[in-house]
Amino acid sequence: MADTYILFEHASGYALFHANGVEEIAMNLAQVEGNITDFSKFTGIIRLVAFAPFKDGIRALENANAISEGILHDDLQLFLEANLPKPGKKGKVLLGVSDQKIGGVLSESLQISCQHSGAIPELMRGIRLHFAKLIKGLSSEASSKAQLGLGHSYSRAKVKFNVNRVDNMII
Amino acid sequence: ARGGMRGGKTVVVEPHRHAGIFVSRGKEDALCTINSTPGDSVYGEKRISVEGAEGTKVEYRIWNPFRSKLAAAIMAGIEHIWIQPKSKVLYLGAASGTTVSHVSDIVGPEGLVYAVEFSHRSGRDLINAAKKRTNIVPIIEDARHPQKYRMIVDMVDVIFADVAQPDQARIVALNAHHYLKNGGHVVISIKANCIDSTAKPEAVFAEEVKKLQSEKIKPLEQITLEPYERDHAVVSGHYRAPLGGKKA
Repeated sequence: MADTYILFEHASGYALFHANGVEEIAMNLAQVEGNITDFSKFTGIIRLVAFAPFKDGIRALENANAISEGILHDDLQLFLEANLPKPGKKGKVLLGVSDQKIGGVLSESLQISCQHSGAIPELMRGIRLHFAKLIKGLSSEASSKAQLGLGHSYSRAKVKFNVNRVDNMII
Repeated sequence: ARGGMRGGKTVVVEPHRHAGIFVSRGKEDALCTINSTPGDSVYGEKRISVEGAEGTKVEYRIWNPFRSKLAAAIMAGIEHIWIQPKSKVLYLGAASGTTVSHVSDIVGPEGLVYAVEFSHRSGRDLINAAKKRTNIVPIIEDARHPQKYRMIVDMVDVIFADVAQPDQARIVALNAHHYLKNGGHVVISIKANCIDSTAKPEAVFAEEVKKLQSEKIKPLEQITLEPYERDHAVVSGHYRAPLGGKKA
């Protein structure tokens, strides 16, 4: 049985969780919905291993751009190298990710087996629902504020640096 | 000179059946929302200021059902819009942010609107509207790939979609699977022409509802937007409705 970790990317930083009983969850997805909505039950499944906040808005934007394109940013590589158990020591390690693309890149560059289906999307929903409560010192207001800031900088950059834009006809 | 909308004491504003929405009773009744940024119009809409008790003033912005499908659905008598004060809303197809600004008024300072728009041209207006209204998170990205904005969006209570794309039902379902709470709601504006211009509108709506059902979205309501829009419907649904058939 593989030891399952989950990578969660948030506007405020990267978080790594450990998950229990992922095989059982995958087998009765419908039944575990309640365990995921209920915070006290969810913390029986999920445990925070590490959280690395982004230093500033610029770093958050760089990482968000990389995540959005499925590119491995140095910050993410360092975060995972520092916090995932080294492969081969104690059985297999499996990393749950949000997206096939980043999963492919991670398994290639860091030799980690990644999964983005089965129970993983359901666990991601749970982490997203409870995130502010799972991270010490992060309030839901602070979490929203981080998203607001990142939403603005991400969107501004998109509109500014679009080479294909058709409406730049100011002469 | 401006149609009696300038307010003062002659205009009476009453709460609408839907929380966070109001009706101004004048020469003609009009939908409106409380302006979160008094003194400011977002897209040239009229504002009315009403004096309350002890000289307090509240400013409302008129919400035109000919310019907003959500307003049209309300005028057409939709039972529930599910968007209410304190809601978190994922709004797909935000365009320049005209309807989004009213949704922002409705959810208020304790709510949040994640406004997704792919077009950069309307995106600029959306970003500007969001600068003054701090409960709007602008997201210039393709709603077909919700994982691209996963760092920016929380779990939400409601998804509202007005994306006018043939695969709209799939887009909504994908976003729901990522971001909609269990027991949350979807409200979708469907333009029959955009899905299939050869079929009858009623057949198109029925087909879209069927697609939603196959994605854990239980249909609740369907309403046509006559006379504000032609061959347009707004459909609402309940996502992962709790078992036991309890009312939403």
